Amino acid sequence: MRAVVIGAGRIGCGLAGQLLRASGHEVTFITRSCDVVKNLRHNGSYHVLLTSETECRIVTVDGIKAIATSDEAAAITAVTRADLIVTAVCSQNLPAIAPLIAQALSRRETPANVIAFENMPSVGECLRRLVSSEMTQPWQVDRHGFSGAVISRMVTRRVGHPAQQTPLMFVGESVEEFIVDRTALRAPLPKIRGMKLVDEYQPCVLHKLYTFSAGHATAAYLGWLKGYHYIHTAIHDPEIRKAVFNAMAEGQRGLAAKFGQEFACSRAELEAIITRFENANLNDPIVRVARDPHRKLAADERLVGAGRLAEAAGVMPQQLALVAAAALCFSHSGNGQPCTACFEQSQTTEALNEICGLDAAHGFGRIVAKSWAQLAPSLLPGNLLLSLRQRLWARV
Amino acid sequence: MKIGMLMLRHPATRISPIMPAVVQMLRNWGCEVDIIYPEENVTPLSQVRAKHDLYILKSGTELALSLAGALHAVGARILNPYRVAATMRDKIASMRVLEAAGVPVPETYITSNARQLAGLLDAGPLVLKPYRGSQGRGIHVIWDADELDDVSAGEGPVFAQRYHKPEGEDRKIYVIGEQMFGVRRIFPAKTYEEKIGQPFTIDEELRDIALRCSRAFGVELFGFDVIISKGRPYVVDIQSFPGFKGVPDAALRLADYVYSVGQRAMNGEPIPGMAAPAQGKAVAS
Repeated sequence: MRAVVIGAGRIGCGLAGQLLRASGHEVTFITRSCDVVKNLRHNGSYHVLLTSETECRIVTVDGIKAIATSDEAAAITAVTRADLIVTAVCSQNLPAIAPLIAQALSRRETPANVIAFENMPSVGECLRRLVSSEMTQPWQVDRHGFSGAVISRMVTRRVGHPAQQTPLMFVGESVEEFIVDRTALRAPLPKIRGMKLVDEYQPCVLHKLYTFSAGHATAAYLGWLKGYHYIHTAIHDPEIRKAVFNAMAEGQRGLAAKFGQEFACSRAELEAIITRFENANLNDPIVRVARDPHRKLAADERLVGAGRLAEAAGVMPQQLALVAAAALCFSHSGNGQPCTACFEQSQTTEALNEICGLDAAHGFGRIVAKSWAQLAPSLLPGNLLLSLRQRLWARV
Repeated sequence: MKIGMLMLRHPATRISPIMPAVVQMLRNWGCEVDIIYPEENVTPLSQVRAKHDLYILKSGTELALSLAGALHAVGARILNPYRVAATMRDKIASMRVLEAAGVPVPETYITSNARQLAGLLDAGPLVLKPYRGSQGRGIHVIWDADELDDVSAGEGPVFAQRYHKPEGEDRKIYVIGEQMFGVRRIFPAKTYEEKIGQPFTIDEELRDIALRCSRAFGVELFGFDVIISKGRPYVVDIQSFPGFKGVPDAALRLADYVYSVGQRAMNGEPIPGMAAPAQGKAVAS
């Protein structure tokens, strides 16, 4: 099977490309980075360093091709010829690649499948709409399958500079499983190592977001408030560790109530997730995990979505509220230094509504607003939260 | 990441859990940490090489400082850099740096003979300190010229500061990266509990002083002592890489900071107090 992977970054190379090649598929990367194209073409391969707390192994991914998006004709031809189109460009960049996919799919006479490796709810449907809107005959899009992918593997970084001639290496976990919506694809279904096809896809998406992603975000935003630089260091802070567990546990209450206990994690499973955050080999900077806070604070996303689901289940999600407030406080300037809170306190109501879709006067929105009001006034450059529980700052 | 730590082995009776915990955490995170005890080895100077991505100058001994100087000369990247650690060790140099940076320090005098200070006592008492001293050792408050005879026997520079009677306990400010911590403790603190002291909230004035100190030396891992006298703060000492006793989660915060600086060093980026090397990291022998 011919596959194209649009996006040659951490997930594109560190997960999708590796598993596609391991499954015997032809793989062509399409990326806007000319340096990456040159590097991949020059070497014909790259490496993936797969790590866990106990082992590291390097996998070489070879036999690959690469095309720059600026080479429009070649890119369209490659996508047109592909039976499987994978995207891994970060969800905010999907509108930029929709025209390419639309042009290619318009030329095809047989169905293709598009799988979006983006950590975002309803991303398959979102991409389908974007592509459809770029087609002269929008109904053509229905011939093709569109699904998101629920990814388990963290791929945290790329080692090596594309402008150099040495092969690139991507560092990530060894876990291979990813979940795809069987009902959203078209026959013939692709066969990819690690792919698990499910009929109930949406609960799987929310399970990932409201469990792993919520815990990851908790470690990042609270770790940032407490002055840590890496996920694997912050998770050793007893307060943060407890908060990560509690935030994920609050999410489980909502998931269990909405989808059934089988979609909620046990205590041991939550502890296992925390253990993954301890993996220093991933060397995951807090500012990477915390970036793009507005997207991560959206109404159906990992913090607010989990909080609202818990609230609907009769649980008042205090921990998720604190993390959402910390995310609101987070901003990251270009030089990697924390700076002042995103918003003035007077803007709380509007910001909560616009960013999170929350009502600052009621329910979950109220406790997020309250937590934010406690955090924001003390958050100044260089300031430090000594205690989450007591809201004790190094300077008040 | 390869880290070399210049340390001083403490007696087993001394409670010092922070650095062992830092070392253990760094090792758990995959760092190769070599503990170097300069006093316990014969080191051929010609074979001193930068074999690690980053050196940590924790020991305060003269030999450790000089070894750091030798490592600096062969391109090693050191936290804190030799130049900074050497300046902070020398109270004469460090007080002038602080004064020039607008940090409030007591009036300071240097001479070769303590008796020459007699005339200054008309304006009030003086504090005499060993100019390379630490941990409160060898400090004398001089009220009367006759007392100068007792302290003038030593060799080397005489370092004297105007005595300002402290109000309440001493304040110790610790800086780790972008973060600062205040610990109030009695002087001189003798037991471990006394050294841990009580945390206190750093006010705007102390925060400004800490930032001035940080900018003056170009580093972000240090501590300094402040006394408050008649409502005014005076910085009376500054230390490169102090013990950080009393800082909440000190070991984890230090390990996180050292790890982040090590990453910068490995990437050939500037580290605090040192520009990036011309050709990436130092070449290991």
